[in-house]
Amino acid sequence: MKPAQIVVALAAAVIAALGGCRARSGALKLPPHATVLRLADADDIPTLDPAAGYDTLSWTFEQAIFDTLVRYGEDNVTLEPDLAASWEASPDATTFTFQLRHDARFSTGRAVTSDDVRYGIERVLDPATRSKGMEYYRGIAGAEDFAAHRTAHVSGIETPGPWTIVFHLSAPDPIFPHKLAMPFAAAVPREIVARWGDDFSHHVVGSGAFMLREWIGGQRIVIARNPYYFDHELPRIDAVVDSLGVDSELQWLRFEAGDLDIVAQIPPAEFPYVMKTPALAKLVLRKTTVTTEYLGMNCEMPPFDDIRVRRAISYAVDRHKLVAILNGRGVVAHSPLPPNLPGYDPDLKGYTHDPARARALLEAAHLGPGFTFEIWMRADATVLMLGQSIQQDLAEVGVNAVLKPVAWGPFLETIRQPRTAQAFLYGWEADFPDPANVLGTLLSRTQWGSNNDSFYYNPEFEALLDRAAQETDFARRYALYDRAQQIAIADAPWVFLYYPVVDVIHQPWVHHYILNPMRPTRFERVRISPH
Amino acid sequence: MNSRRRLNRLEVVGGAMVLSLVLVAIFAPILAPHDPARAVASTFGDPGAPSMQFPLGTDQLGRDVLSRIIYGARISLAVGVAAMAITMAIGVTIGLVSGFFGGAIDFLLMRFTDVMLSLPFLLLAMAFVAVLRPSLVSVLLVIGVVSWTQVARVVRAEALSMTTRDFVLAARALGAPAPRLIIRHVLPNLAPIIVVMAVLGTSGTLLLEAALSFLGLGVPPPAPSWGRMVSEGTMYFRTAPWLAISPGLAIFYAVLGFNLLGYGVLGRRAR
Repeated sequence: MKPAQIVVALAAAVIAALGGCRARSGALKLPPHATVLRLADADDIPTLDPAAGYDTLSWTFEQAIFDTLVRYGEDNVTLEPDLAASWEASPDATTFTFQLRHDARFSTGRAVTSDDVRYGIERVLDPATRSKGMEYYRGIAGAEDFAAHRTAHVSGIETPGPWTIVFHLSAPDPIFPHKLAMPFAAAVPREIVARWGDDFSHHVVGSGAFMLREWIGGQRIVIARNPYYFDHELPRIDAVVDSLGVDSELQWLRFEAGDLDIVAQIPPAEFPYVMKTPALAKLVLRKTTVTTEYLGMNCEMPPFDDIRVRRAISYAVDRHKLVAILNGRGVVAHSPLPPNLPGYDPDLKGYTHDPARARALLEAAHLGPGFTFEIWMRADATVLMLGQSIQQDLAEVGVNAVLKPVAWGPFLETIRQPRTAQAFLYGWEADFPDPANVLGTLLSRTQWGSNNDSFYYNPEFEALLDRAAQETDFARRYALYDRAQQIAIADAPWVFLYYPVVDVIHQPWVHHYILNPMRPTRFERVRISPH
Repeated sequence: MNSRRRLNRLEVVGGAMVLSLVLVAIFAPILAPHDPARAVASTFGDPGAPSMQFPLGTDQLGRDVLSRIIYGARISLAVGVAAMAITMAIGVTIGLVSGFFGGAIDFLLMRFTDVMLSLPFLLLAMAFVAVLRPSLVSVLLVIGVVSWTQVARVVRAEALSMTTRDFVLAARALGAPAPRLIIRHVLPNLAPIIVVMAVLGTSGTLLLEAALSFLGLGVPPPAPSWGRMVSEGTMYFRTAPWLAISPGLAIFYAVLGFNLLGYGVLGRRAR
């Protein structure tokens, strides 16, 4: 940690402490018979502004408060109508037309029109907003001109009527609708943003099933039923109360005491106990996420510039052991693409655990026993345990791996530097269901220094990515990505480790709490029976 | 004369405990039934209960807990003793110089000591290790650098009283230079108190190493540190309590041994 970071961290701690004192206000007031879903989280919510949020916790609440044109099914990654009643794409995938439903209203009562959708996206594209979602909408025609303040509106977004919105793209992008399912593209009421400016995050107004009722930083957030929500049957509960700053151990104790309805992360210490206790085990919900955990190797740095060494490491690591150590909370990985993501190919076999082959490959690469390298990782108990398991496996083939556990910030900083970290343990969760979001985002030459931390480059792989990205026929598109995937597996820039499985435990009185492989759970259909 | 030679009861018990630790550490490769860093049972993610083959069970990575505890004695003793040596070197030097010269030097050194004393021990150590990155050497240095303050205070007080003793005044009158006075006359007379502090302090440094390891800032894996074993074991406390309890008992045994020995030596001095 650099001195400057320590100062910032201390300052943040002091501010958090002061904030905590100030926020000690009265008890929550809800009607006596209100049905409430009680959650807890270890950290405060980073933001509720859909242009700013880019993390699970922010998105959990943003998708409850805001609506996007389209969204995903409850337990899958197939697009469903949300604000849009219907939509169609031009055959060349450059023009997308959405028809909005007429009955959507913000929680202020005002009707949601196509202008609000356009405003939400333009806000993201405006450099003054500094939105992390900007890159997803740059492909809209005129986006660059708008971002440079040469035009008042994005010329590629047309609103021919209050219930119609048309997007013109500068290049074919068959997966554009998925980008509109990210909370970045939510319909936002401009008058509320104008009123609160930078403080919009604390006064958000959207058209979702819930509205923000109270948010006491670091202590509690409450969202309550939006009376104007277009589906009058929903939500089925009156409010969601999320206690903030409750660490996972405490969450667990409160869950056991019946004081919380859901625990989204069963502490690793309790997990084996939960699974061995039938009454608890049956309350556990599981889902394989669209995440790939991997051991990245820097293809620019010796000895990993030698493909034989990368393959040797891939053969040396015992993935089944990793999954066992995780108590089964993972699925052994054989490819970069995780299951539940379109384009996943279950027939790809990848690498098996084969120490003899690993030794032979290392010998062929003239790496005698005792070759040493560093594995960078987050200083986290679970990650460190997995690191030790890999360390054991590598010791079996005569490779000495030194574990470098560091904090999150320095970790990212280090692995993104060219020729700095030889190897690292990392993972990637897809943001939208397309192979491009894994293969292109993590292994393309264009992502060196940002997400391609193994500094992998293969011209053939790159050419396939370019062709696939514009392919509008999805069968052909996935076939191209599959070929690209095979090249990446053969080149072995990563040891594909496992696809994590999330486990959520719920009280018996909570119904219809459904896990999505890619997005946080939606609350509007959750039901709570008397208890 | 006779009473000075005979060991008191605390010394015998404490000494035996420490000696047993030293022997275990030295003969670890012979005593340990298994390799401490290797998986010897496939109890991955589900620690194995104690059995005839593995008297203290196996951990979540399939390693034999008994072997790890035996090898852990090496880490604990090495860190405990080496860190104590650093602590003593810094503390005694600062204490002696401060107490012997007095005046402005004393004032500056003691105010510096006060500043160090005012900072929480563990927090300071954590900050240092985070900057230096965990390794055996950095852990040693950090423990030494944060724990010398008490030693310096005590040594200063003793040295201060020494400077007015007749033999020191006599040596000074004979024209002995300051370094000679300190090394030949003051230091030897402080030796007993230094020994007591070193022995008692070793239990402190041992605990600090365990605490740092517990927080993931100690000697990096796969070295079997007792503190890290407790930390990893707590993850399975509900289903496999022996995983955290046995290294915890090992820490308790080592700390108790050094404390008994230290108080024994202290008792001899008081007599």
